[in-house]
Amino acid sequence: MQKQLSEKRGFANNPIVRAIGLQRIVVVLAVILEAVLFSILSPAFRQYATVVSILDYSYYITFMAIGVTFCLISGGNDLSVGAGMICYALAGGFLVQHLGWPVWAGMLVTIAIGLCFGVLNGAMVAIMNLPPFIATLCTMLITRGLGSILTGGMAVSWPSRNSEGGWFRSLFKIINNGKIIPVGFAIVIFFIIVMSIVLNKTRVGRYIIAIGSNKEAARLSGVNVIKYQMLAYIISGFFAGLAGIAYSATFSSSVAPGTGAGLELDAIGGAIIGGTSMTGGQGSIIGTLLGVFVMSLLKTGLPYVGLQANWQQIITGIVLIVAIYIDVLKNKKTA
Amino acid sequence: MKKMLAIVLALMLVFSATAAFAADYEIVSKGFQHQYWQAVLAGAQAKAAELGVEINFVGPANESAYDEQLSQLNSAINAAPKAIGLAALSTETCLDAIKTAQESGIPIIGFDSGVPGAPEGAILANCATNNYNAGALAGEMVYAAIKDRIAAAEGTVRIGVSAQDAVSESVTQRGLGFIDKIGELAAADGYTVKLEGNEKYVNDAKVESVDDGKIVIETLVPSQVTAELSAIDCQNLLNKSDIIALYGSNQHSAEAMVTANENLQKLGTGEGQVIGAGFDSGAVIKAAVADGTFLGAITQAPFAMGEALVDTMVKAANGEAVEDIDTGCQWYTAENMNDEDIAINLYD
Repeated sequence: MQKQLSEKRGFANNPIVRAIGLQRIVVVLAVILEAVLFSILSPAFRQYATVVSILDYSYYITFMAIGVTFCLISGGNDLSVGAGMICYALAGGFLVQHLGWPVWAGMLVTIAIGLCFGVLNGAMVAIMNLPPFIATLCTMLITRGLGSILTGGMAVSWPSRNSEGGWFRSLFKIINNGKIIPVGFAIVIFFIIVMSIVLNKTRVGRYIIAIGSNKEAARLSGVNVIKYQMLAYIISGFFAGLAGIAYSATFSSSVAPGTGAGLELDAIGGAIIGGTSMTGGQGSIIGTLLGVFVMSLLKTGLPYVGLQANWQQIITGIVLIVAIYIDVLKNKKTA
Repeated sequence: MKKMLAIVLALMLVFSATAAFAADYEIVSKGFQHQYWQAVLAGAQAKAAELGVEINFVGPANESAYDEQLSQLNSAINAAPKAIGLAALSTETCLDAIKTAQESGIPIIGFDSGVPGAPEGAILANCATNNYNAGALAGEMVYAAIKDRIAAAEGTVRIGVSAQDAVSESVTQRGLGFIDKIGELAAADGYTVKLEGNEKYVNDAKVESVDDGKIVIETLVPSQVTAELSAIDCQNLLNKSDIIALYGSNQHSAEAMVTANENLQKLGTGEGQVIGAGFDSGAVIKAAVADGTFLGAITQAPFAMGEALVDTMVKAANGEAVEDIDTGCQWYTAENMNDEDIAINLYD
């Protein structure tokens, strides 16, 4: 028994394991296990088209999750990203579909409105000292209502692939003579690398981590807490805008007002599974990407093995409980 | 403090001015999420202008906002209109309000999916698509297109149904109408049917399900109404080796079929392709019909529905006898979608 324990500790203390992070290794193994399991159980699952679909449906969640990771690490949260993402995409799409704006302008507006709501969230949390949960819950309601008001309650269709302005869909997927290239993954990887550098190698990231670890200590050390706490929410707003574009580009469906609330849970869930702490001060962008894939693989794979609808929610819930429990155990150990 | 007081007073003035506006006829729809409702609104406005009456057309933010719709219905009753048009999201939620309207002598006319299960006499008439018949029309068209493939198949063949939910009266009736019609035509040709998937559809269909049925009809319903989950359902169905047709019973589900097909490229009318059929229109579905991704789709007659609703409300308010009106539906394909009588009901 003693030997087994010391072996376990030995594995956790292995320099390579410590460098990568035990939780990240577990999440990578979970992704591989899911992919292998679904591929064995369902021949239809193991095909290129399924991989492309999993990527398609993960882009917008990954973008939301990158932003949410910054908020979580700062000791807060952003519940507005789901409803917000739809609101920003509705506003941008409305300008394109009904007012004839060029698609690039609609995309810029989508991101700009996301940034504005990021500033609002940041101001409420950092300046007005509102609890992040409540503040962003309120902006979730505001964006949900605003999306309906801006479009007169109508669903909005961004240009389809073969119509004028449909080029923006090729930013995420190129379809040429039946060949499909999921180029959106390159965009995701680009932002993962950039935001990993921002989080780990820049003052912005280090201060956000410091605020999440101990806000008072950060303040006493001379960190401009208001500025950097706000920045976390502005980053989240920017990525919610980007998620709105990814959502509009990857789904043929029109963007419908009143939807989106609930999608933030996929993003928050992805971040937590990926090792971001609910209590702040810890987390990684690569971990978040992996966490999103755990969720996306479950969502896509479970129907292939005959587990329908409500089972997917139950299993996702269980996975989240496990991830949060690991976080609790880690915090206990640190304490 | 004074500023705050001024703002509150100004807001109160705005609200009272709004409240002072009372139309002759109040119409409470299911919202404007789908362009379908814009066409209903356009029809209602056209008829109102023709008859010289004023209408107030409202709807909740989305089709799950039961409480918001109830509050809109209560406001409509409080405005004491000559008649109310109602497309209830949930009859149960609206029951008390409907009774209040009845007691106040305000006639209610149902539209779209109407007010199913309302107390006897509460709804004077319904102006609605017969959703069951509309689903059956899709079933008839799909069956005609796959009849030869069923005959040629050695093993089972599968027909997929993607349904947004198993609760809404209109969506379930469109699904059941489709399933029952396929079952009826299959039985006439001597084939047996096996029903799979969502229990509501399996249990409520009139088709006799047998374990070794030649034709498998599988209905999938997502746990949440999201574009992603419905697309995954469609993808799952399209990936089944024996699939020969797929039907999406509303705009949401039909658009999810298009998303799913983008990576799989299985829908079409050519040799070995899966026959696709949609419901309603919108830019995405119209394009899918036009380019042959879908064999066709069902369109309701939302413009005619809006017209019929206002006409019936005015008649009811004048004490004339009114009766249910089936506002009809059409099957549109790449060939006929530009015909005048169909194009008027197709919207972007």
